[in-house]
Amino acid sequence: MIPLYGFLRGDTLGLLILAAEDETVAELGHKLAQAARIRVKTTGPLQVIYRGRTLDPTARLREIGIGPLERFDAEEAP
Amino acid sequence: MLRREQWLEFARKLDWEFSYVSEADVYPAEQSGSPWLPSADWADWDEPFRTSYAEYVTQQHEKDIALYAVRDAVGRVDDFEKLPRGWSNALKLHAATLPLAEFAAVVGNLRAARFGRNSAWRNTAALGALDEFRHTQIPLLLMHELVRWDRQFDWTHKFYHSNNWVAIAARHLADELLLTSNAIEFAVATNFVFETGFTNLQFVGLSSLAHGVGDRMFEQMLTSIQTDEARHAQMGAPTLAKLAEHDRPRAQYLLDKWFWRSWQLFAVVTGFSMDYLTPLDQRERSFKEFMNEWVVDQYLASLAEFGLERPWYWDTFLEALDHYHHMVYASAYTYRASVWFDFVLPGPAERAWLADKYPASWPALDRVWSNVSERWQEADPGNDFAVHGTAIVPFCDLCQLVLCSGTQQHNAASTIDHAGRRYVFCSAPCRWIFEQEPERYAAHKDVVQRVLAGEAPANLVALLRRYFGLDYADWGKDAFGGNYPWLVRTQR
Repeated sequence: MIPLYGFLRGDTLGLLILAAEDETVAELGHKLAQAARIRVKTTGPLQVIYRGRTLDPTARLREIGIGPLERFDAEEAP
Repeated sequence: MLRREQWLEFARKLDWEFSYVSEADVYPAEQSGSPWLPSADWADWDEPFRTSYAEYVTQQHEKDIALYAVRDAVGRVDDFEKLPRGWSNALKLHAATLPLAEFAAVVGNLRAARFGRNSAWRNTAALGALDEFRHTQIPLLLMHELVRWDRQFDWTHKFYHSNNWVAIAARHLADELLLTSNAIEFAVATNFVFETGFTNLQFVGLSSLAHGVGDRMFEQMLTSIQTDEARHAQMGAPTLAKLAEHDRPRAQYLLDKWFWRSWQLFAVVTGFSMDYLTPLDQRERSFKEFMNEWVVDQYLASLAEFGLERPWYWDTFLEALDHYHHMVYASAYTYRASVWFDFVLPGPAERAWLADKYPASWPALDRVWSNVSERWQEADPGNDFAVHGTAIVPFCDLCQLVLCSGTQQHNAASTIDHAGRRYVFCSAPCRWIFEQEPERYAAHKDVVQRVLAGEAPANLVALLRRYFGLDYADWGKDAFGGNYPWLVRTQR
């Protein structure tokens, strides 16, 4: 498992998200939204941003090359 | 018998030249601080109170008599039971975070009493150490009685001895500020920034609120402590003046570092109390308004007096006045079982007041409280864990607080790699402080690092019980069990 710092737009704090390398970007975004849902209600699909780049939701984390304790952001797709 | 003015100056300013040991050996820079200057350069150090020991003892005795009289009159458990529930939790927050920090300040003062570079400084610091003993003992004494009523007050003594995440953050601050700082840094950081710059929030703002809610005991305690602080805080300005004269960049660095660190502490301790835990009908001003009136303007005026600049992160700080303590409070509310005091859920009237006071930040915060309130509508009263976070929360590698800086639209956290380890910081100032002296901070492990290293459990309940030292009876809950007149429960 890869521990990551996740920030959902609209939330008041960052959360530690444990992700698997074979997870998709969409699954990672969903996991963060679930972890933050007590404070932030999301309705539509999320986009995940890593190093200033919006990621392909179908890509696997191992393809992205995101490492332990790196930051990612998520927000509702426009 | 000599009159006061015939002996006091001679006694206060009793420095001498050393003949068989060097000044640098008597006052090593590690303890006395840098820049290291010969004693002659410190000869004009002075402070305005010029209190003798006999005067000190007489004054303190009178203050203690007054304090004990108030305790005997209104310091019983049934007096505290009459206080608003939110306010009694503000009291628990202060009761835990302050007394043993004051005890650490004894050490800082004693270091200055030995290694301060002028005898007047050393004499004042010796009285300062006695002050801080008093500020430790008074709340321990007053709150001890309350443990029988509410065991969360046991954290008055227990807090700093625990691995609770707030205690880890508080120790990280207090250890550096009060236990390990050399005499110059202690005077600038503690006496000038912390005591002169920030404690008006407590002694004026919070004291006034204590009066409003009818907490005569806390009001009297703050008043009694304030007169001590006003005296020993005077060690800050003359030391800063000397530092600014001889090493302006270091003076600026110490001010900028300690203003930010002090701000974060007061944002949590005082910000929570003023904007959330004080009943709405007793609030006079918002925390931001108190900050602007009692801290911001006066601090800027003080900097100008010494020819120093406002901190480089000033715009970040001004933005934080609208966001930071609100983001921490909302976050902490949803992780309230991880602390030792209860939280109040802001209702429609409170939210309207906060919207008026914080127009820049409240619309986004209001959405969070709507969401939390909806969760309570679907949960039974008292079922706190139905309205509680379960994900692991990371912490800043400098302040050790949760990652709540910036805004809800853009959290300000960032990471760096240093000596093979990745560090995360809640804000640019925290990251900057770390980068100035990484050797001072790098070895410290935040809670997540401890979990990842297997030193603390990853399961939330196990973390609360086994590592944070909490149990069901004393961990934080909604102060009203989620049972508010304005909150209508969903029919199921």
